[in-house]
Amino acid sequence: MPQPPAPPDAELILAVLERDDRRAYAQLVERHQSQVRTVLRRLTRGDMALADDLAQETFVLAWRNLKRFRFEAKFSTWLYRIAFNAWQSEARKKREVLLDLDPDEDPPAGDDNYSEMPDVASRIDLERAMEVLSEGERAAITACYYADLSHEEAAVALGIPLGTVKTHVLRARAKLKARLTGKEIA
Amino acid sequence: MKDLDQLLREDASVPVPDNGFSARVMDALPARAVAKRSWLTPALIFGSAALGSLLAVVFAPADISVFQGFSDLVQLHYRTPAAITALGIALALTASAVVLAVETD
Repeated sequence: MPQPPAPPDAELILAVLERDDRRAYAQLVERHQSQVRTVLRRLTRGDMALADDLAQETFVLAWRNLKRFRFEAKFSTWLYRIAFNAWQSEARKKREVLLDLDPDEDPPAGDDNYSEMPDVASRIDLERAMEVLSEGERAAITACYYADLSHEEAAVALGIPLGTVKTHVLRARAKLKARLTGKEIA
Repeated sequence: MKDLDQLLREDASVPVPDNGFSARVMDALPARAVAKRSWLTPALIFGSAALGSLLAVVFAPADISVFQGFSDLVQLHYRTPAAITALGIALALTASAVVLAVETD
């Protein structure tokens, strides 16, 4: 017998808001935990324990503030915003995180389209390559690729100007490409 | 050959096994406060203020009129018993309004 289709996020959120339905929230957590944890693992440079702590904090904060969710954006986008805030707060405890770029620093030149990577470029290589990114660059790449946010959504989630997000992404891509192809940028 | 976009998206799409994470989150959730009826807080605050005002009027000395108190206030006679009673009532109602304004978010 085929399984009934899973209820959409909005239906589960309404169940939580109207009936305090914890099972509905558990379904939301199970559905989104993987992506939220992946995003936070990238942001924390692979610190899985810290990433999971922040992910837990994200879901608890989302539970507390669920009545503020406006159904205008996707639930996942709203979760990522909370996750980015949690990461930024944590990073600020350790040191100041500057997501803005030095305004004098120009994005690197170079063709950005369809930059091909050698077959040997694996996820481990990518993980290592991401270590060369600045906090801002890693946040922008994570927001746009791992959280699948548009540049505009990433700017809102990270609390930085749209132009800065675009510059961060350009620079990060150039650095990653250089690292993965063995042609470092000075 | 893979392009960078493909590599990043592949990396992003690798699922992270739950391994009890969701259960830990559910254990960490605080109890949700039972939603109050929206009219209850304003009714309690205004009711208390009104009751306080009524008691002030009822138990005020016989020669004190609240209206006289407001009249005294208008004439800048702040220290008469009637003016103090009127001022107390006005302050109680103002405090209620401020509390309600802060509560309404």
